[in-house]
Amino acid sequence: MAEKDLKVGIGDMKFTRGSGTVITYALGSCIGITFYDPVLKLGSLLHIMLPNKTDPNDPRVFKYADSGIREMIRKLSAFGMVKSRTIVKIAGGAKMFDIKGNMDFGNIGQRNAAMVKKVLMEERMRISAEDTGGAYARTMLLDVATGDVIIRTVGRPEKHL
Amino acid sequence: MKLKSYEDMNLQELDVMKEISSIGTSHAATALSKLLQKEVRISIPEVSVLGYEETVNQIGNIEELVVATLVQMSNEINGLMLFIFKMDLANEVLGRLIGRTYQSFSELDELAYSALEEVGNIIICSYVNAFTQLVGVEIDLSVPSSTVNMLGGILTVPIAEYGYETDKLMYINAEFIIEGTKFSDGLLMLPDIASLNSILERLGVL
Repeated sequence: MAEKDLKVGIGDMKFTRGSGTVITYALGSCIGITFYDPVLKLGSLLHIMLPNKTDPNDPRVFKYADSGIREMIRKLSAFGMVKSRTIVKIAGGAKMFDIKGNMDFGNIGQRNAAMVKKVLMEERMRISAEDTGGAYARTMLLDVATGDVIIRTVGRPEKHL
Repeated sequence: MKLKSYEDMNLQELDVMKEISSIGTSHAATALSKLLQKEVRISIPEVSVLGYEETVNQIGNIEELVVATLVQMSNEINGLMLFIFKMDLANEVLGRLIGRTYQSFSELDELAYSALEEVGNIIICSYVNAFTQLVGVEIDLSVPSSTVNMLGGILTVPIAEYGYETDKLMYINAEFIIEGTKFSDGLLMLPDIASLNSILERLGVL
Protein backbone atom coordinates (compact mmCIF):
# COMPACT_ATOMS: atom_id res chain seq x y z
CA MET A 1 0.00 0.00 0.00
CA ALA A 2 1.28 3.40 -0.98
CA GLU A 3 1.46 6.02 1.72
CA LYS A 4 0.63 9.15 -0.18
CA ASP A 5 -2.04 10.98 -2.04
CA LEU A 6 -4.17 8.64 -4.08
CA LYS A 7 -6.48 9.75 -6.84
CA VAL A 8 -9.60 7.74 -7.55
CA GLY A 9 -11.01 7.88 -11.09
CA ILE A 10 -14.58 7.31 -12.15
CA GLY A 11 -15.69 3.74 -11.44
CA ASP A 12 -12.67 3.00 -9.29
CA MET A 13 -11.67 2.44 -5.64
CA LYS A 14 -8.47 3.02 -3.70
CA PHE A 15 -7.46 2.55 -0.09
CA THR A 16 -4.50 3.17 2.16
CA ARG A 17 -3.49 2.87 5.80
CA GLY A 18 -1.87 5.11 8.40
CA SER A 19 -1.39 8.37 6.54
CA GLY A 20 -2.00 10.12 3.26
CA THR A 21 -5.18 11.12 1.46
CA VAL A 22 -7.58 9.58 -1.01
CA ILE A 23 -9.36 12.01 -3.32
CA THR A 24 -11.89 11.93 -6.13
CA TYR A 25 -12.66 14.99 -8.26
CA ALA A 26 -15.89 16.49 -9.52
CA LEU A 27 -18.53 13.97 -8.51
CA GLY A 28 -21.62 14.89 -10.52
CA SER A 29 -24.39 12.34 -10.53
CA CYS A 30 -21.81 9.80 -9.35
CA ILE A 31 -21.37 9.02 -5.65
CA GLY A 32 -18.23 8.88 -3.55
CA ILE A 33 -18.32 6.48 -0.60
CA THR A 34 -15.63 6.51 2.08
CA PHE A 35 -14.94 3.79 4.63
CA TYR A 36 -12.72 4.54 7.60
CA ASP A 37 -11.73 2.06 10.28
CA PRO A 38 -10.34 4.34 13.02
CA VAL A 39 -8.56 1.57 14.91
CA LEU A 40 -6.48 0.50 11.93
CA LYS A 41 -6.50 3.95 10.31
CA LEU A 42 -7.58 2.14 7.20
CA GLY A 43 -9.42 4.34 4.73
CA SER A 44 -10.91 3.84 1.29
CA LEU A 45 -12.80 5.83 -1.30
CA LEU A 46 -15.08 4.34 -3.95
CA HIS A 47 -16.43 6.36 -6.91
CA ILE A 48 -19.51 4.70 -8.40
CA MET A 49 -21.33 5.82 -11.50
CA LEU A 50 -24.46 3.67 -11.82
CA PRO A 51 -26.80 1.87 -9.40
CA ASN A 52 -26.57 -1.79 -10.28
CA LYS A 53 -24.47 -4.19 -12.26
CA THR A 54 -26.68 -5.93 -14.80
CA ASP A 55 -24.14 -7.94 -16.79
CA PRO A 56 -22.46 -10.62 -14.65
CA ASN A 57 -19.52 -10.73 -17.08
CA ASP A 58 -18.79 -7.02 -16.76
CA PRO A 59 -15.36 -6.84 -15.10
CA ARG A 60 -15.78 -3.25 -13.90
CA VAL A 61 -17.12 -3.97 -10.41
CA PHE A 62 -16.38 -0.49 -9.03
CA LYS A 63 -18.53 1.22 -11.64
CA TYR A 64 -21.74 0.12 -9.90
CA ALA A 65 -23.06 0.81 -6.41
CA ASP A 66 -24.08 -2.76 -5.60
CA SER A 67 -21.00 -4.63 -6.81
CA GLY A 68 -18.64 -1.78 -5.88
CA ILE A 69 -19.64 -1.52 -2.24
CA ARG A 70 -19.55 -5.28 -1.77
CA GLU A 71 -16.13 -5.57 -3.38
CA MET A 72 -14.80 -2.71 -1.24
CA ILE A 73 -16.06 -4.47 1.89
CA ARG A 74 -14.46 -7.74 0.78
CA LYS A 75 -11.10 -6.13 0.01
CA LEU A 76 -10.90 -4.06 3.18
CA SER A 77 -12.06 -6.95 5.35
CA ALA A 78 -9.06 -8.86 4.04
CA PHE A 79 -6.94 -6.06 5.49
CA GLY A 80 -8.66 -6.37 8.85
CA MET A 81 -11.48 -3.82 8.58
CA VAL A 82 -14.25 -4.43 11.09
CA LYS A 83 -17.61 -3.37 9.67
CA SER A 84 -19.25 -2.45 12.97
CA ARG A 85 -16.67 0.22 13.84
CA THR A 86 -16.15 1.50 10.29
CA ILE A 87 -17.29 5.06 9.60
CA VAL A 88 -19.16 5.47 6.33
CA LYS A 89 -19.68 8.79 4.55
CA ILE A 90 -21.18 9.52 1.15
CA ALA A 91 -21.28 12.50 -1.22
CA GLY A 92 -22.49 13.31 -4.74
CA GLY A 93 -25.63 12.24 -6.54
CA ALA A 94 -26.37 15.68 -7.95
CA LYS A 95 -28.80 16.48 -10.71
CA MET A 96 -26.71 18.53 -13.11
CA PHE A 97 -29.30 19.38 -15.78
CA ASP A 98 -33.05 19.80 -15.78
CA ILE A 99 -34.80 19.17 -19.06
CA LYS A 100 -38.28 20.66 -19.27
CA GLY A 101 -40.89 18.05 -20.08
CA ASN A 102 -38.58 15.17 -19.24
CA MET A 103 -38.66 14.63 -15.51
CA ASP A 104 -36.79 11.36 -15.71
CA PHE A 105 -33.71 12.78 -17.36
CA GLY A 106 -30.75 13.19 -15.09
CA ASN A 107 -32.24 11.64 -11.97
CA ILE A 108 -29.53 9.00 -12.08
CA GLY A 109 -27.96 10.79 -9.10
CA GLN A 110 -31.02 10.14 -6.99
CA ARG A 111 -31.15 6.50 -8.10
CA ASN A 112 -27.46 6.11 -7.28
CA ALA A 113 -28.00 7.51 -3.78
CA ALA A 114 -30.97 5.22 -3.17
CA MET A 115 -29.00 2.15 -4.24
CA VAL A 116 -25.94 3.10 -2.16
CA LYS A 117 -28.14 3.43 0.93
CA LYS A 118 -29.96 0.18 0.22
CA VAL A 119 -26.75 -1.83 -0.18
CA LEU A 120 -25.16 -0.28 2.91
CA MET A 121 -28.27 -1.10 4.91
CA GLU A 122 -28.20 -4.69 3.69
CA GLU A 123 -24.56 -4.83 4.74
CA ARG A 124 -25.53 -3.35 8.12
CA MET A 125 -23.28 -0.35 7.75
CA ARG A 126 -24.62 2.95 9.02
CA ILE A 127 -23.97 6.18 7.10
CA SER A 128 -22.61 8.67 9.63
CA ALA A 129 -22.64 11.70 7.33
CA GLU A 130 -23.73 12.56 3.82
CA ASP A 131 -23.77 15.44 1.37
CA THR A 132 -25.92 14.39 -1.57
CA GLY A 133 -28.36 15.87 -4.07
CA GLY A 134 -28.39 19.47 -5.22
CA ALA A 135 -27.26 20.61 -8.64
CA TYR A 136 -23.52 20.99 -8.24
CA ALA A 137 -20.37 18.89 -8.57
CA ARG A 138 -18.30 17.95 -5.52
CA THR A 139 -14.72 16.93 -4.89
CA MET A 140 -14.37 14.48 -1.98
CA LEU A 141 -11.22 13.90 0.05
CA LEU A 142 -10.50 11.47 2.87
CA ASP A 143 -7.59 12.15 5.21
CA VAL A 144 -6.46 8.72 6.32
CA ALA A 145 -4.46 9.97 9.31
CA THR A 146 -7.53 11.55 10.94
CA GLY A 147 -10.57 10.11 9.14
CA ASP A 148 -11.64 13.62 8.20
CA VAL A 149 -13.71 13.90 5.00
CA ILE A 150 -13.65 17.20 3.12
CA ILE A 151 -16.12 18.24 0.42
CA ARG A 152 -15.06 20.96 -1.99
CA THR A 153 -17.56 22.71 -4.26
CA VAL A 154 -17.34 25.85 -6.34
CA GLY A 155 -18.59 29.01 -4.68
CA ARG A 156 -19.17 27.42 -1.26
CA PRO A 157 -16.86 27.05 1.70
CA GLU A 158 -15.19 23.68 2.27
CA LYS A 159 -17.33 21.33 4.26
CA HIS A 160 -16.20 18.70 6.77
CA LEU A 161 -18.45 15.68 6.84
CA MET B 1 -26.95 -3.68 -34.80
CA LYS B 2 -23.34 -3.86 -35.86
CA LEU B 3 -21.62 -1.46 -33.51
CA LYS B 4 -21.92 -2.11 -29.81
CA SER B 5 -20.02 0.93 -28.69
CA TYR B 6 -18.50 4.17 -30.01
CA GLU B 7 -15.05 2.62 -29.96
CA ASP B 8 -16.15 -0.04 -32.45
CA MET B 9 -16.10 2.59 -35.20
CA ASN B 10 -13.35 1.94 -37.72
CA LEU B 11 -11.29 4.61 -39.47
CA GLN B 12 -13.64 4.88 -42.40
CA GLU B 13 -16.66 5.31 -40.14
CA LEU B 14 -14.84 7.91 -38.05
CA ASP B 15 -13.92 9.69 -41.27
CA VAL B 16 -17.55 9.89 -42.24
CA MET B 17 -18.45 11.29 -38.82
CA LYS B 18 -15.65 13.82 -39.27
CA GLU B 19 -16.99 14.79 -42.69
CA ILE B 20 -20.51 15.46 -41.45
CA SER B 21 -19.19 17.15 -38.31
CA SER B 22 -17.16 19.45 -40.49
CA ILE B 23 -20.31 20.61 -42.25
CA GLY B 24 -22.20 20.80 -38.96
CA THR B 25 -19.57 22.94 -37.26
CA SER B 26 -19.26 25.27 -40.24
CA HIS B 27 -23.00 25.89 -40.02
CA ALA B 28 -22.51 26.58 -36.33
CA ALA B 29 -19.72 29.03 -37.15
CA THR B 30 -21.95 30.85 -39.63
CA ALA B 31 -24.69 31.15 -37.02
CA LEU B 32 -22.20 32.46 -34.47
CA SER B 33 -20.85 34.93 -37.01
CA LYS B 34 -24.33 36.34 -37.69
CA LEU B 35 -25.00 36.64 -33.99
CA LEU B 36 -21.71 38.36 -33.13
CA GLN B 37 -21.50 40.34 -36.35
CA LYS B 38 -17.90 39.23 -36.59
CA GLU B 39 -15.97 37.00 -38.92
CA VAL B 40 -16.02 33.47 -37.48
CA ARG B 41 -14.17 30.62 -39.14
CA ILE B 42 -13.81 27.06 -38.00
CA SER B 43 -10.97 24.58 -38.34
CA ILE B 44 -11.62 21.07 -39.69
CA PRO B 45 -12.82 19.13 -36.67
CA GLU B 46 -11.22 16.05 -35.26
CA VAL B 47 -13.78 13.52 -34.13
CA SER B 48 -12.42 11.41 -31.32
CA VAL B 49 -13.86 8.64 -29.25
CA LEU B 50 -12.40 9.09 -25.80
CA GLY B 51 -12.84 7.85 -22.27
CA TYR B 52 -14.11 10.16 -19.54
CA GLU B 53 -10.74 11.31 -18.24
CA GLU B 54 -9.26 11.80 -21.69
CA THR B 55 -12.22 13.97 -22.67
CA VAL B 56 -11.86 16.06 -19.51
CA ASN B 57 -8.15 16.54 -20.23
CA GLN B 58 -8.80 17.52 -23.85
CA ILE B 59 -11.23 20.25 -22.83
CA GLY B 60 -9.66 21.54 -19.63
CA ASN B 61 -9.18 20.70 -15.95
CA ILE B 62 -11.49 18.44 -14.02
CA GLU B 63 -12.42 21.07 -11.40
CA GLU B 64 -12.49 23.98 -13.84
CA LEU B 65 -15.70 25.98 -13.78
CA VAL B 66 -17.44 26.00 -17.18
CA VAL B 67 -20.86 26.77 -18.58
CA ALA B 68 -22.51 23.87 -20.36
CA THR B 69 -25.66 23.71 -22.42
CA LEU B 70 -27.33 20.39 -22.96
CA VAL B 71 -29.99 19.52 -25.53
CA GLN B 72 -31.67 16.17 -25.82
CA MET B 73 -32.26 14.64 -29.26
CA SER B 74 -35.25 12.43 -29.95
CA ASN B 75 -37.32 11.06 -32.84
CA GLU B 76 -35.20 9.12 -35.39
CA ILE B 77 -31.99 9.83 -33.51
CA ASN B 78 -31.87 9.66 -29.73
CA GLY B 79 -29.05 11.13 -27.74
CA LEU B 80 -27.50 14.23 -26.26
CA MET B 81 -25.72 17.29 -27.57
CA LEU B 82 -23.49 19.17 -25.18
CA PHE B 83 -21.73 22.49 -25.71
CA ILE B 84 -19.16 23.65 -23.19
CA PHE B 85 -18.02 27.26 -22.83
CA LYS B 86 -14.65 28.04 -21.36
CA MET B 87 -14.01 31.52 -20.02
CA ASP B 88 -12.17 32.91 -23.08
CA LEU B 89 -14.86 32.06 -25.62
CA ALA B 90 -17.60 33.10 -23.19
CA ASN B 91 -16.03 36.54 -22.75
CA GLU B 92 -15.62 36.96 -26.49
CA VAL B 93 -19.33 36.25 -26.92
CA LEU B 94 -20.52 38.25 -23.90
CA GLY B 95 -18.36 41.26 -24.74
CA ARG B 96 -20.10 41.46 -28.07
CA LEU B 97 -23.64 40.60 -26.99
CA ILE B 98 -24.04 42.39 -23.68
CA GLY B 99 -20.96 44.59 -23.58
CA ARG B 100 -19.46 43.03 -20.45
CA THR B 101 -16.79 40.53 -19.61
CA TYR B 102 -16.26 38.51 -16.44
CA GLN B 103 -13.29 37.32 -14.38
CA SER B 104 -14.89 34.01 -13.59
CA PHE B 105 -18.06 32.09 -14.24
CA SER B 106 -18.98 32.38 -10.57
CA GLU B 107 -19.66 36.09 -11.19
CA LEU B 108 -22.12 35.52 -14.03
CA ASP B 109 -25.43 37.32 -13.68
CA GLU B 110 -28.76 36.13 -15.05
CA LEU B 111 -28.41 38.10 -18.28
CA ALA B 112 -24.96 36.75 -19.10
CA TYR B 113 -26.03 33.24 -18.21
CA SER B 114 -29.06 33.28 -20.50
CA ALA B 115 -27.00 34.86 -23.29
CA LEU B 116 -24.54 31.97 -23.09
CA GLU B 117 -27.32 29.42 -22.94
CA GLU B 118 -28.85 30.92 -26.05
CA VAL B 119 -25.55 30.92 -27.93
CA GLY B 120 -24.88 27.33 -26.90
CA ASN B 121 -28.34 26.41 -28.10
CA ILE B 122 -27.84 28.17 -31.43
CA ILE B 123 -24.55 26.39 -32.01
CA ILE B 124 -26.11 23.03 -31.21
CA CYS B 125 -29.24 23.66 -33.31
CA SER B 126 -27.33 24.78 -36.39
CA TYR B 127 -25.04 21.78 -36.08
CA VAL B 128 -27.98 19.40 -35.77
CA ASN B 129 -29.87 21.07 -38.63
CA ALA B 130 -26.99 20.54 -41.00
CA PHE B 131 -26.70 17.01 -39.72
CA THR B 132 -30.37 16.13 -40.33
CA GLN B 133 -30.21 17.44 -43.89
CA LEU B 134 -27.08 15.47 -44.68
CA VAL B 135 -28.11 12.23 -43.09
CA GLY B 136 -31.79 12.51 -43.96
CA VAL B 137 -33.19 11.94 -40.49
CA GLU B 138 -35.74 13.75 -38.39
CA ILE B 139 -34.38 14.96 -35.07
CA ASP B 140 -36.44 16.77 -32.43
CA LEU B 141 -34.54 18.90 -29.96
CA SER B 142 -35.53 19.61 -26.38
CA VAL B 143 -35.50 23.01 -24.74
CA PRO B 144 -31.88 23.70 -23.71
CA SER B 145 -30.77 23.22 -20.15
CA SER B 146 -27.63 24.87 -18.78
CA THR B 147 -25.43 24.80 -15.74
CA VAL B 148 -22.36 26.48 -14.31
CA ASN B 149 -20.36 23.64 -12.83
CA MET B 150 -17.09 21.75 -12.65
CA LEU B 151 -16.13 20.34 -16.04
CA GLY B 152 -15.64 16.87 -14.58
CA GLY B 153 -19.11 16.84 -13.05
CA ILE B 154 -20.74 17.92 -16.29
CA LEU B 155 -19.10 15.17 -18.30
CA THR B 156 -20.36 12.53 -15.87
CA VAL B 157 -23.88 13.27 -17.17
CA PRO B 158 -23.47 11.69 -20.62
CA ILE B 159 -21.11 9.07 -19.18
CA ALA B 160 -23.79 7.97 -16.71
CA GLU B 161 -26.63 8.34 -19.21
CA TYR B 162 -25.04 5.78 -21.54
CA GLY B 163 -23.07 4.00 -18.85
CA TYR B 164 -24.78 0.69 -19.48
CA GLU B 165 -23.80 0.85 -23.18
CA THR B 166 -20.38 2.44 -23.35
CA ASP B 167 -17.63 4.12 -21.32
CA LYS B 168 -16.73 6.45 -24.18
CA LEU B 169 -17.72 9.89 -25.42
CA MET B 170 -17.60 11.33 -28.92
CA TYR B 171 -15.82 14.66 -28.86
CA ILE B 172 -15.89 16.97 -31.85
CA ASN B 173 -12.76 19.00 -31.47
CA ALA B 174 -12.62 22.11 -33.65
CA GLU B 175 -11.37 25.65 -33.23
CA PHE B 176 -13.51 28.69 -33.72
CA ILE B 177 -11.38 31.46 -35.18
CA ILE B 178 -13.05 34.74 -34.33
CA GLU B 179 -11.36 37.62 -36.16
CA GLY B 180 -8.05 35.84 -36.00
CA THR B 181 -8.17 34.62 -32.39
CA LYS B 182 -8.50 30.89 -31.82
CA PHE B 183 -10.91 29.40 -29.31
CA SER B 184 -11.23 25.71 -28.75
CA ASP B 185 -14.79 24.50 -28.76
CA GLY B 186 -16.34 21.94 -26.49
CA LEU B 187 -18.93 20.23 -28.62
CA LEU B 188 -20.00 16.69 -27.90
CA MET B 189 -22.44 14.73 -29.98
CA LEU B 190 -23.68 11.64 -28.22
CA PRO B 191 -26.18 9.54 -30.11
CA ASP B 192 -27.16 6.34 -28.34
CA ILE B 193 -25.67 3.23 -29.89
CA ALA B 194 -28.78 2.25 -31.88
CA SER B 195 -28.85 5.76 -33.36
CA LEU B 196 -25.13 5.67 -34.18
CA ASN B 197 -25.76 2.47 -36.14
CA SER B 198 -28.66 4.01 -38.00
CA ILE B 199 -26.62 7.14 -38.87
CA LEU B 200 -23.80 5.07 -40.33
CA GLU B 201 -26.24 2.79 -42.16
CA ARG B 202 -27.98 5.72 -43.77
CA LEU B 203 -24.65 7.08 -44.90
CA GLY B 204 -23.89 3.70 -46.45
CA VAL B 205 -20.76 2.86 -44.48
CA LEU B 206 -22.10 0.14 -42.24
